Amino acid sequence: MSRLPIALALIVWMAPGPSFAQSAPGTLPDWSGAWSMVGGTVFDRATQTGQGGATSVGVRSHPPYNAEWEAIYKSHLERRDKNLFPDTISNCGVPAGFPRHFNLPDPYEFVVRPEQVWVLTENGPNVLRIYTDGRKHLEDQWATYTGDSVGHWEEDTLVFTTVALKGFRDKDVILDRTGLVLSDQSRATTRIRKIDPKTIQVEMTIEDPKALTKPWVVTKQFQKMPAGTRVYDYGCAENNRNPADIETGKTLILGPDGKPLNK
Amino acid sequence: MRTHALLGALAIAVTLVTTPVDAGAEAPALRGKVDDGVERTLQRARPAHHSGAGFNSDKVVEISGTIKEFQFTNPHTWIQIIVEDAKGAKVEWSLEWGSPNSLGRQGIRPSTFPAGAKVTMRLRPMLNGAPAGAFVGAKFADGKTVGRWE
Repeated sequence: MSRLPIALALIVWMAPGPSFAQSAPGTLPDWSGAWSMVGGTVFDRATQTGQGGATSVGVRSHPPYNAEWEAIYKSHLERRDKNLFPDTISNCGVPAGFPRHFNLPDPYEFVVRPEQVWVLTENGPNVLRIYTDGRKHLEDQWATYTGDSVGHWEEDTLVFTTVALKGFRDKDVILDRTGLVLSDQSRATTRIRKIDPKTIQVEMTIEDPKALTKPWVVTKQFQKMPAGTRVYDYGCAENNRNPADIETGKTLILGPDGKPLNK
Repeated sequence: MRTHALLGALAIAVTLVTTPVDAGAEAPALRGKVDDGVERTLQRARPAHHSGAGFNSDKVVEISGTIKEFQFTNPHTWIQIIVEDAKGAKVEWSLEWGSPNSLGRQGIRPSTFPAGAKVTMRLRPMLNGAPAGAFVGAKFADGKTVGRWE
């Protein structure tokens, strides 16, 4: 008696249920093209007050800060309302860092290779490297803006951890221009997958024993831009007429002669 | 004499628009005609790395003058326009717009604001009255518009 019908039935029974299948088993998903983050670049809409407070609808989230870090954030908001809390990238010298890497305007590109994934942002520009070749985090990894990311694939989902982040240790990494910050103890587990042909979803679970009372889960979505979309240079220092005044923290507006119009 | 007459004809006063066009509300998109005459959807310029502090988001001002230069550069573009004030003095205004990359993907080009073109601009002015603002929209002498005008 042939066992073939039983084997076929077993294969059918074991097959995944209805889902958005985007790649055959053993192959990597197609995340090609240019992608744009959904929503504005401020995490918590409730903090948008005063000048420049206009926002668009998007994913909003307020981190579960402990009292100490809630007070720090509040002080940033107060300075922001007085235009005295500069964006750390205003002077075009440092990367956006993690997790702000997933909170930027302008196009994104996801480059998928078996051994590594690169997430490129036009704004900045910034590069997030995620190693999927089996390597581990270094035990003595020093902290950087974007940290160290290693991960693996779970079917169509890229899962990776990010460690060794500077956070707000040196006051030069923020999550958005309201002054949302995390500490140098922050780390994240991120899951990226394509939830439909035109949407990539990034879910970050951020832990920070110094600043948070519990893990902070942040979800960002990225919509596919029209086919043929070009991504360009972003020479932040090319003609930056909005530098931050190093002495006061004020974001300046430079006139045609290079002198501040709002000193 | 002819020059003076020409300048006189071009002379404009800065007009405060007492009724705000949108009172700071953020529109997700706007319609505009760029220099190729094709109507497109133009995303409202959002500052990429600063909050827009310094500009009055509750007021829109209208100015008219002559384009001096369109700085189609990162991180933001700037439109430089020479405006003659009520006393006849020429004042250079600076209008900040979106990144050239973002605008370029929506059909805006360095040639969108050619030097020497006569144009009326709407902008969110600086809070301290300095001659600068956030670009809202423009209308050329021939009626062609760019950005948000209607």
